[in-house]
Amino acid sequence: MEELMLQLKKEIIEVLNLEDVTPEDIADDAPLFGEGLGLDSIDALELIVLMEKNYGIKLENPSQGKEIFKSVRTMAEYIQANRK
Amino acid sequence: MAIYIKGMGNISIQDTLGKNFIDAPVSYSEPYIRCIEPNFKDFINPLQLRRMSRIIKRAIASSLTAVEQSGIAVPEAIISGTGLGCIEDTEKFLSAMIENEEKFLQPTYFIQSTHNTISSQIAIYLKCHSYNNTYTHRGVSFEMALWDAYLLLLSGQIKSALVGGYDELTPTYFQQLKKLGFWRDSVQDSLNIVNTPGIGTFSGEGSLSFMFADNAENALARLDGMSLGYKLNNDEDVCRFITQFLEEHHLTPQDIDLFMTGKSGDEVYDGLYDNVSKMLFPQTLQAVYKNLSGEFFTASAFGLWSATSCIKNNEVPECQKINNIPTKPLSKVLLYNQYQNKNHSLILLSSCGC
Repeated sequence: MEELMLQLKKEIIEVLNLEDVTPEDIADDAPLFGEGLGLDSIDALELIVLMEKNYGIKLENPSQGKEIFKSVRTMAEYIQANRK
Repeated sequence: MAIYIKGMGNISIQDTLGKNFIDAPVSYSEPYIRCIEPNFKDFINPLQLRRMSRIIKRAIASSLTAVEQSGIAVPEAIISGTGLGCIEDTEKFLSAMIENEEKFLQPTYFIQSTHNTISSQIAIYLKCHSYNNTYTHRGVSFEMALWDAYLLLLSGQIKSALVGGYDELTPTYFQQLKKLGFWRDSVQDSLNIVNTPGIGTFSGEGSLSFMFADNAENALARLDGMSLGYKLNNDEDVCRFITQFLEEHHLTPQDIDLFMTGKSGDEVYDGLYDNVSKMLFPQTLQAVYKNLSGEFFTASAFGLWSATSCIKNNEVPECQKINNIPTKPLSKVLLYNQYQNKNHSLILLSSCGC
C-alpha cells in the first residue's frame, strides 16, 4: 500500500503539472480537493483518465468519485480493490 | 482617422520584455530558435500557471506588460492573431489520441488545443468580459486582428483594445515547414541574414501585445492607417498598392522617414522588397526587423513593435538599417510585410507630436 501511494503521488504530480510539489508534500490522508492540494474539476477529469490509463479502472458511477478521490489513501485503496 | 498605441509587451527571441528598445541584439547560428522567456511566476499566480501551456504563459505575460504600460487595466476588447495557435498542446493531444487509440484523452491538452484559447485565457486573467476574437490567417493573422481593432476603435464602438500576435513553433512543425522550404539548413549570423541571401530563413517565435486606445494621452505612437493586399501580380502592382495607400493619407513616398520591411533573407521573396524599395524609396532610410525576430506567422507584430520603438526613441538600431540614408526625426514610418507574395500589408505610424 505504501509503495502504491508513493507511486500515485508521483503520477498525480506529473499529470497535474504540480511543479513545486514533491511526493513528501502530499500527506496520505490530506484532502486532494478544496483545501489540501486545492485541485478543481478539470483535475478530477485528469485523475479519472489517470486511473483508467495506468490501472485499467474505469469509473462507471460518477457519484463514487467524491469518495475515491478524497485523498491519496482512498485512491490507493480503491485501486487495490479494483485493479485488473 | 487614427488610433493610438498606449502600451506594448514583447516576448521574442531577443531580450525584449519590458523594454522599448533592443540595446544588445542577440545573433543566432542555427535556424530553429525559441523565445527568451521571463520567470512567469513574476507575472502569473503559480496555481493558474501549472495548467497553462507555454504560449498561454507568454501571452499573459506580454499582455500584462502592455496593460501596465498603458495604464488601462481592463480593455474593451481582446483580439488576437495566431498562425498556429497552441500548436504544442495540439500536438500533445493529437499524439496521445493516436498512441492511445482515441482513449484516455487528457482534458487540459484538449482545452488548450484550440487557437482561440489564447484570447480566452488572457480575458479570464484580466477579468475582461467584453468582445473577444481570434484571427487565424497564416501570415496575416496579426494584421486581421489589428484591422478588427482599428475598425472598432474608429467606429467608436470601443475606446481601448488589447491586440496581440502570438505564435510558438515546435520541433515537429519546424521540420514540416522545412520540407516546404521555409528554413535554411544552417545559419551563421542571424543578425546579418538579409545580407547573406539563400533559400529560406531562420525561424522565430513571438508573443506581442499592444494596447490601443482612441486618445493620444501618453501614447507611444499613432496608427494612421493600414491596408491589406492579396495576390498582387508584380512589383508594379505592389508599388501601386503602396502609392495609393499613401495618397489616401495625403502623402508621397518622400514624406516617409523610415520604410521598414519584412525582408528576411529568403531570396525567393526578398527581391520584391528590394525592387519596391528601389522604385519608391531610394532616398528614404530603410530598415528590417526579421533579422531580430526570426520568421513566424505573426512576425509582423514584431515589426509593429520595432517601428513603434523607433518612433518613441527617434532612433533606428544600427543592426536594422539596410542603407546609409541619414536618420531624420522619425515622424512617419511605413511598415510593409508580405507573406509568400500572396498577402501584403501596410501599416502607417506617426509620432504623436506631428
